[in-house]
Amino acid sequence: MSQLKERYVLTQSQKMMVFILSMSLYGLSNMITELVPSVNFGPIELSVEYFAFIPLTLCILFHPLYAAIGASLGEIIFGEIMLGQFGGFGEIEKFIAFSLAMFIAGSLVNDPKNKKQVGIAAITGVAIHQMISMMVDIGKVWIGVEELEAVPGLAESVVIIEGFAFLNDVLFSGILFALIPTLYLVPRLYGKIEPLLGLKPRDNTVKFSIGEVLAPRFIIIAVILAFSAFLFEFLAESGINILEWDADFVDRYGEWFIWVSLGIAGVIALITILLMLRNKKNNRLMDNQSEKKVLS
Amino acid sequence: MTEQILIENVTFKYPGGELPVLRDVSLTVNKGDFIAVMGSNGCGKSTLGKLLNGLIPHYYVGDFTGKVTVNGLLTTDHKVAELSHQVGYIYQDFENQLVSPRVLDDASFAPLNFGYHDYKDRGRQSLATVGLTGLDNEFIWQLSGGQKHLLALAGVLSLDPDILIIDEPVAQLDPYHAEETYNILKKLNEDFGKTIIVIEHHTEFIADYCNQVVLMEAGQVLWKKNTQQALREVNQLLDSQIYPPQVTQAAHKIGFLEMSDYPITLAEAVSSFPCYLKNTSNKSVPDSKNSDQLESLIKIEDISFSYKTINRSRKKVLKDISLTINRGERIALVGNNGAGKSSLLRLITGLVKPEQGNVIVHGRNTRKYSPEKMADLVTYIYQNPEEMFIEDSVRKDVEFFLKARKVPDYKLIVERILRQFELTDLQDRDSRLMSGGQQRRASLAIGVAMNPSVILLDEPTANLDIATRKHITELISSLGDQVGAAVVATHDMQLVAEWANRIIVLNEGEIIHDGTRDSVFNNLQLLEVAGLKPPQILELSRRLNMSQLMYTVDDFVHSVKREGTSYGIYTKTV
Amino acid sequence: MEYTRKLSEKLSVEQVKIELLNTAYGNSNTFLAKLDPRTLFVWYLFFGIVPWFIHNQVILLGMFFFMIATTSMSKVSPLIILILSLGLLGQGGYLLIASWFFGGDITVILPLLILTLKLSIISLASITVFCSMDPEKLSDGLLKIGLPGQVSFSIAYGYRMLPSLLEEYHHIFLSFRLRGKAPEKNGLLYWRSIIYFSKIAVLSFYPLLLSTTKRARTTVEALETKGSFYGFNHPEVKKIKLAHLSLRTRDYTFLIFSIIYILCVFSVGNNI
Repeated sequence: MSQLKERYVLTQSQKMMVFILSMSLYGLSNMITELVPSVNFGPIELSVEYFAFIPLTLCILFHPLYAAIGASLGEIIFGEIMLGQFGGFGEIEKFIAFSLAMFIAGSLVNDPKNKKQVGIAAITGVAIHQMISMMVDIGKVWIGVEELEAVPGLAESVVIIEGFAFLNDVLFSGILFALIPTLYLVPRLYGKIEPLLGLKPRDNTVKFSIGEVLAPRFIIIAVILAFSAFLFEFLAESGINILEWDADFVDRYGEWFIWVSLGIAGVIALITILLMLRNKKNNRLMDNQSEKKVLS
Repeated sequence: MTEQILIENVTFKYPGGELPVLRDVSLTVNKGDFIAVMGSNGCGKSTLGKLLNGLIPHYYVGDFTGKVTVNGLLTTDHKVAELSHQVGYIYQDFENQLVSPRVLDDASFAPLNFGYHDYKDRGRQSLATVGLTGLDNEFIWQLSGGQKHLLALAGVLSLDPDILIIDEPVAQLDPYHAEETYNILKKLNEDFGKTIIVIEHHTEFIADYCNQVVLMEAGQVLWKKNTQQALREVNQLLDSQIYPPQVTQAAHKIGFLEMSDYPITLAEAVSSFPCYLKNTSNKSVPDSKNSDQLESLIKIEDISFSYKTINRSRKKVLKDISLTINRGERIALVGNNGAGKSSLLRLITGLVKPEQGNVIVHGRNTRKYSPEKMADLVTYIYQNPEEMFIEDSVRKDVEFFLKARKVPDYKLIVERILRQFELTDLQDRDSRLMSGGQQRRASLAIGVAMNPSVILLDEPTANLDIATRKHITELISSLGDQVGAAVVATHDMQLVAEWANRIIVLNEGEIIHDGTRDSVFNNLQLLEVAGLKPPQILELSRRLNMSQLMYTVDDFVHSVKREGTSYGIYTKTV
Repeated sequence: MEYTRKLSEKLSVEQVKIELLNTAYGNSNTFLAKLDPRTLFVWYLFFGIVPWFIHNQVILLGMFFFMIATTSMSKVSPLIILILSLGLLGQGGYLLIASWFFGGDITVILPLLILTLKLSIISLASITVFCSMDPEKLSDGLLKIGLPGQVSFSIAYGYRMLPSLLEEYHHIFLSFRLRGKAPEKNGLLYWRSIIYFSKIAVLSFYPLLLSTTKRARTTVEALETKGSFYGFNHPEVKKIKLAHLSLRTRDYTFLIFSIIYILCVFSVGNNI
């Protein structure tokens, strides 16, 4: 049997070890950063956003997928549920954004000894995460405020504030709590931590399959493109078209639209209840699947 | 006798390992055995255990040859899940084996996963078996170490396995809980017919509880013998760094008995050693120093301390304690768990402040100085050495304090300390990846490098095998002139007897005795109240009514030889 | 320095542990806490999403009052509400100020207020629901709606390991403090001390990474022998585990009442 081929085919338990490790450590760090008070200068918040170096280091040293998922779940469990701050749907967005960003960062590195690669990966990871968060935040205001373009100055200020927060987080948290610690930790832990889990260290003779290497890069480019497209459209006057269309839509269908959206949500809730009742009666295994689909 | 476990010619190498951990091992274990596996560190004892529950070869996919049959099941053909119904494994770091927040959930975790409808009942029943009742909804982190160990045991018992493997049950427990655990194992063995395999090097426990002993060395089984025969192989055991019971060592050193007559338990020893008349007049008087010449380093004045519990009430751990610690004192702080030993040490470091009263170290009141400032005077060595390792090599850890303070010529100091603690060859290793004894040496070296006036050690010999324990005891004794005073909180009565010149007995937050080893070990009532278990040889000398208590095997041997010659009793036993 | 010292004395590790567990298990006697997790999820499914798409102020106000009622029923700690309010007001405030720089005027206030109202409804809904579930209930509920067993295991494991991890981190942090040397001067706005402590906070993770790795190995071995992976892959295990969940009269009452109330609010809102 070729050991090289086996390398990244981890057993279920090895995946679980990476997962647990990442979950408990990043979770702990998250709880600590939540408890540490932040320094505010008006809208400029100099806070320790997160200790991104922990999942980054683990994603670089181990299998990025399990380390990334573990870290995101750890954040939700330790940083939100345990502190009584679990936010429901908001957590789904955080989970996806953070796992994706960390996974991409980890996948970018194929030689943990290469400082340049590690550094680029660390900053990229934070940037992707912050970019997604920013888009979601802008999107929230966009959805939440009726006829956004009709309110003078609001659209610009949202973009400016979120954009500033983005730069602040990437430059402050990104450099101090992602780039520098990751560059410090990865070489120290490389070759030392893996045997403790019964794994062999990653090395540059083994690469991910082409698909695995391409996929993350492709995603980064896609995310950047999508983001810039979004930003330009939003800022440029021609971009208002979208909003106008949106407003038109509301104008044309008026109240009816609200009732429809409300109705859809109601129907979803109703279906879920029905499914649950059926579940209760039949106790069939399949039902969970459909429930899951409905909810997601 | 039915053969329950059959290991045939097994050789195993961990994935990525260079040498096989097990080499051509063959062993048979009969149903109902209570068997001890002994051997020095890294001889493959724990690997042998993992062979039986199928973790090898299913979980650790290394190079495996040979055949293992457990209860008629070939481990290569059956999954870990199936084998865990046959074999239960309790780890040395059993805390990490507990995965649920609450007691009952953890005890019923395995039966639930295997889909038993009565999983809660199974959990409750196994909790009852180990005597852990009334705690079902308690959070695990509130349990004591001993209770956690029992819970780990209950967790594997819930699947009702026929075979239990316990990896070093005594290592992480204090003597009282260790005995309790062994009594439960005995019950499981005798009343429930379980086969028990302990990985153990505390031969005094082996003598009391086990019927078979396996000796391993360098990945091979040297022999399997019944306990009496096994423990009498004094020379061979000592070669493997294993110390037979003190009474057996004594018999061996005195040399008046045939090997086949060596006693292995205290009771046997009492009948095989000659009896002396108690000579009370000859009792040594503790050497009390003149108090005028004493230079006091630490003054503790009427301190009280309490902490908050989960239901927000306060639990008092120290009540009105007053104490003076003088230069040159080697203090042992003893008492059962929860007596307040650790709290007292932490108060001296200034990490926590007393609720009432003052702690004054070298004239500095801990209330007024930050812990950083106090650290120049007092060093606290954690029970778990890993918590002292903050750097990635031994050397960097030792020099951290000196470097931060820009001490000139710190390199020379570090070199000297590394030599003193025999760490020169290990200086570039990561402390966390070393053996237990090496870690302990490194933690002592780190403490000494801080050049403290007072050094505080929390359980410095816990979790060590006896050979390493002796070595650490020597190193602690060698601290002598380097520090003004040393305070050790410990359960290790051997260390107390050999090292301390002042013993403070704490019980329920109060000092119930402050004296010397003679005043402590002669006071049977005190020993009883404080839950102290004197070393076996000391107990023997008491039972034999010797003129004075013997603290070490060598003292005992000398005394017996001297007195034996003068009384001419040798002939009696030969 | 004085500030840090006082803070570190107040924030003892024991204290944090106790507070955390009380947060998690404190509210188990309220009406909402006795509801089935599925009821709470369905309820949240509505109040967590729908407000985004409603711009009618009367309806929003009606929902807001309902949320205030349910939140007070769930006996959430005032601190959480305070943090929430400050966060919402802060965000709205910044947006308001910033928008004036871009030529905004008084008309900005109303849309912002509505946005804040929506966010409040959604946040209060999540507080009502998730503070009424202790971790066990939440993880059972998540398992029931189809999340993998690993998630509910992780929640339980988090509660199991948190105290040990916190304590270990604390000890390592103390080792750094006691053996290192804090800056003599605090600098402007304590910046020297802040950098010093931040550096320690980060460095303390190096030792913790290695020791947690060792823990993880034993834990996963134990999980293997305790049949966790068997449990994750066998749906009947899930069924046994969740057998105690059942929808009772109070669940239906609560849902029906919510529906009636919302229908009333909508009809009132659309007719004004």
